[in-house]
Amino acid sequence: MSIIDSPAYEIAHKVKHGELSAVAVLEAALERVAAVDGRPGTLDGGLLTDEDQAKVHAFITLTADRARVQAEQVDARVRAGEDVGPLAGVPVTFKDLYCLRGVRTTAASRILSNFTAPYSATTVERVEAAGAVTLGKVNLDEFAYGSSSESSAFQPTTRNPWDPARVPGGSSGGSAAAVASGQGCLSLGTDTGGSIRQPAAFCGVVGLKPTYGRVSRYGIIAFGSSLDCPGPLARDVRDAALMLSVIAGPDPCDSTAATVPVPNYLEEIDRGVKGMRIGLSPDFLRIAFPDPHTGEIIMEDLADEICDVTLRAADKLAAAGAEIIENIPMPNSAYGIPVYFVISRVEASSNLHRFDGVKYGYRSQGDFGDLNEMYRQTRAEGFGLEPKLRILMGMYVSAAQYSEHYYQRALNVRSMIRADFAAAFDPQGDYRLDALLTPTAPTPPFKMGDIYGDSLLMQYADQLTVSANHAGVPALTFPGGLSQEGLPIGLQLIGPDFAESTLFRAGYAFEQATADETWRAVKPRVLTEAGL
Amino acid sequence: MTDEITPELFAKLVNLAAFAFDPKEAEYLRTELNKQLKAIRQLESVALDAEVPLASRGVTYAPESRPPLRADAWTPCENPDEILAQAPQVVDRYIIVPNIPHTELE
Amino acid sequence: MSGKLKHTPERNKEGPMTEYEAVIGLETHIQLNTITKIFCGCKADSWEDPPNTNICPVCAGLPGVLPVLNEEAVRKGARLAAAMHAEVRLVSYFDRKNYFYPDLPKGFQISQFDQALGNGGYLDVPMPEGYVRRVNITKLHLEEDAGKTKIEGGQRLVDFNRCGVPLVEMVTEPDLRSADEAAQYLIRLRQLLRWLGISEADMEKGHLRCDANVSIRPVGSMYLNPKTEIKNVNSIEAVRAAAVMEIERQIALVEAGRRVESWTLDWDDAHNRLKKMRSKETEADYRYFREPDLLPVVVTAEWRDDIIQHLPELPLERRARFMEAYGLPEYDADILTADRPISEYFEAALAAYGGDPKVLSNWIMNEVLRMQNELGLSADALTLTPKHVAGVIKMVEAGTINVATGKALLVKVQESGTAPEAIVASEGLGQVSDDAALLAVIDGVLAAHPGEVVSYRDGKEGLFGWFMGQVMRETHGKADPGKTRALLQKALKGQ
Repeated sequence: MSIIDSPAYEIAHKVKHGELSAVAVLEAALERVAAVDGRPGTLDGGLLTDEDQAKVHAFITLTADRARVQAEQVDARVRAGEDVGPLAGVPVTFKDLYCLRGVRTTAASRILSNFTAPYSATTVERVEAAGAVTLGKVNLDEFAYGSSSESSAFQPTTRNPWDPARVPGGSSGGSAAAVASGQGCLSLGTDTGGSIRQPAAFCGVVGLKPTYGRVSRYGIIAFGSSLDCPGPLARDVRDAALMLSVIAGPDPCDSTAATVPVPNYLEEIDRGVKGMRIGLSPDFLRIAFPDPHTGEIIMEDLADEICDVTLRAADKLAAAGAEIIENIPMPNSAYGIPVYFVISRVEASSNLHRFDGVKYGYRSQGDFGDLNEMYRQTRAEGFGLEPKLRILMGMYVSAAQYSEHYYQRALNVRSMIRADFAAAFDPQGDYRLDALLTPTAPTPPFKMGDIYGDSLLMQYADQLTVSANHAGVPALTFPGGLSQEGLPIGLQLIGPDFAESTLFRAGYAFEQATADETWRAVKPRVLTEAGL
Repeated sequence: MTDEITPELFAKLVNLAAFAFDPKEAEYLRTELNKQLKAIRQLESVALDAEVPLASRGVTYAPESRPPLRADAWTPCENPDEILAQAPQVVDRYIIVPNIPHTELE
Repeated sequence: MSGKLKHTPERNKEGPMTEYEAVIGLETHIQLNTITKIFCGCKADSWEDPPNTNICPVCAGLPGVLPVLNEEAVRKGARLAAAMHAEVRLVSYFDRKNYFYPDLPKGFQISQFDQALGNGGYLDVPMPEGYVRRVNITKLHLEEDAGKTKIEGGQRLVDFNRCGVPLVEMVTEPDLRSADEAAQYLIRLRQLLRWLGISEADMEKGHLRCDANVSIRPVGSMYLNPKTEIKNVNSIEAVRAAAVMEIERQIALVEAGRRVESWTLDWDDAHNRLKKMRSKETEADYRYFREPDLLPVVVTAEWRDDIIQHLPELPLERRARFMEAYGLPEYDADILTADRPISEYFEAALAAYGGDPKVLSNWIMNEVLRMQNELGLSADALTLTPKHVAGVIKMVEAGTINVATGKALLVKVQESGTAPEAIVASEGLGQVSDDAALLAVIDGVLAAHPGEVVSYRDGKEGLFGWFMGQVMRETHGKADPGKTRALLQKALKGQ
């Protein structure tokens, strides 16, 4: 086993104490990239070879030189007796929505394919200041618009390390796949409707969507500004807590970053679940979606294997001392996707207005006599189909004459979704939950190409995650077991505002309770096939 | 059910969004939009709860968790040239774009 | 005059003549004079800075940036709202106004739509003809300024330095009835902004910019006709000229049986003409929605009340008080409240002087304002203080010096900074009012000009002024004119 498969927490501890050099860790990470990633995503990436189809393709930009300088600095500072920080020597990756000064930042879109960020995101600065080593920028759905990472303009797109014929999930697919395959220990992703949790679940890793406002959004290319939450992907709960403790907290550059004190997540993580009230909701064990032909809503129970994994986890937590409360009503979460179709599109179309070929990024070549012609050609050529679809929908449902009917109504229902959570978590209420336990995704990872192109079905992959974004509450996903096909199944714990600590405790308790189970020893196929 | 977004309405949206499409792309997008709108129309049947206050975001900010407004103090940007360097066309520090034609009044 | 316009009679020889009135609303954009921009730490003022130097990731609209609201912009906006008698909302919101334009880096402007900082309000504008026009305010909100574009060689050049300068957009109801009224409104608004110290309000520098909505209707009717919006009328004169031109154009159209269309026009200042923007640009749907990146602006009732309580007396109120309390003519009151420093100067001088306000008004309007204009200083920047002025007038009234000496003395005080009393003492400028001294001078003058004395005594009384001049010359202007006159009369009569 390579050092790169160790928890970040241990690597940082060893590097800080001079037991391990950051350069050695970096070498191990780069070796892993060379072994499993294949070629990075590029514009017009060409046809997929057989080899391409067996690789992960997590990266868009590998920043090996920058990483080497950082690793050497970490080692020098350790030798000088300085405190390097809680992420000393830990190789990390960033979803390519995070601005990193001096490095290309593409959002996996042609329209930003030549954009070099002149500034860094607050989170990136905090991670680097904590001693982390930046391995590179990883792939995603174009502008984070998707649940499979297949919409990236940078091809080959990321594949699932557990089965490269399947999607890694999305939109933080590169982050999840990189972490799962040991290409770095930690990654920062973003979650607007499930974009951290669903790929984390698909790739068998831990992912946290923090409370809205817990982590600064400054410097992260926006999708749905009222929904976007930056957060960590990690291989275990403690590493996720470590990363959150580095990035959380107020930021003078983000007016929505709440001035709520950041607790010591690591100190509290092993306090167990004794006395914790954990809920199960029937509304999260079935999905609702419209029949594409009739428009009628079809309700379907989730597959048995997904329900079983969820209920088994409830038993484990109960055995560890938690109280399980069943039949928590979350009726409005069924509207999560329709509401999301409206709100996220309105915000996305506005956020994408700035990509017009004037100031940065791609501009269509040609001698334009009319500014509007330049706009149209630039945007037509620069955006892929999914951004176009989202822009058009956003334009439509926020147009003056339709806004009342669609946008205002969606905001209303969003508040009702929030109210369901408030009732479930109300300390004086009927349920008094500390957390709600649900599956993360309605299915295990699906095959590449199976859903891509059907924008409706793809969106419904976020059905179990999107409500937390509407409500703003934190949600943690962690591996719960494997499907009959040997694919990861993720579980989700949703808590009240700023209760990340509770979620970490419960997730960590589940990890401890299942540490010796056989499924935990199973490695992603790309690793076993590479003899790793 | 008739399509909510007709080809005419679609063309108007495309113009507002400053896009251009070939017919095949346009038809795909229009089909997907109409599919999505069918899902969105589920919301029409929701009995809205007037008691629930409307907010632009999920989390409510208690007064003590709202960041203060910015003090009016100058913090010069260290690298405006790096920002300008990203522009596709620059002459004498001006960003260049095509003109917008005007017409004279009679 | 009530702002009515008569059409040119030649155009409509048959039929009754229609009289039209203009219906004008003004949309003003006011740059607040904060140190920094509204949503980032760049300085607000980039006058004469090279293009695209005063920019940062936030105001240049880079991907991933977020706005952080400048507290001082809220405070200054609230001061204006309070001064316009508008409600200052305790909770207001920012919204996104989405549109494409190269000077708008984010592709949306952060503005306030339905729940703005200010609600309602009005300005009572006194017109030179004597009536007062109440101009109601329909919109008063905070927003960010866009950059600047200019055209050279068929290309558009974009400079983002101005992006993010805090603006108050203030829109009037269509309450103005002529081009002159529109100009007066702007004059009074500019005065108010400077008075409050919230904007430099220099129209040439774009601190105060104006778009005019113009329509016409037959006098006496109450309905509103389609209006045109004239953009970029950025001086008082341009507002007047553009409005006059557009009113004439609309009357001519209507008289010719055609309709006025709701166009957006551009005022071309260089050529004094209106240009039409392509109609496509005017079909806008801004798709306003709440700015998710900013929390609601919440102010306390105490904060708001503090703003209201600390508002200075406003220029038009002070103007009225100067007329009422001091009995000043409207003309004087207007000039003495033209700006806040001069009005405070007047009142401070009045307190020190304690005499007739009109006497003081004359001194200030004639002497101090001239000095101020010559030096290009505002009243509060003069070395000559209100107390100095009062001292000089008192010396004149006490007969210590004469008026001419007093006027010269004001200049000396301004140049030296020395108190006027000290200058009079050290330079011996005191008036000669001692009878014996004056008589000695008079006797000398009479003795030196026996011929003139004879002529005077023969009835040529017009020579009296000449004798007075001789005495003044001998005393270097210090002779007390009253006493001199009495003594000279006696002496000439040989008494």
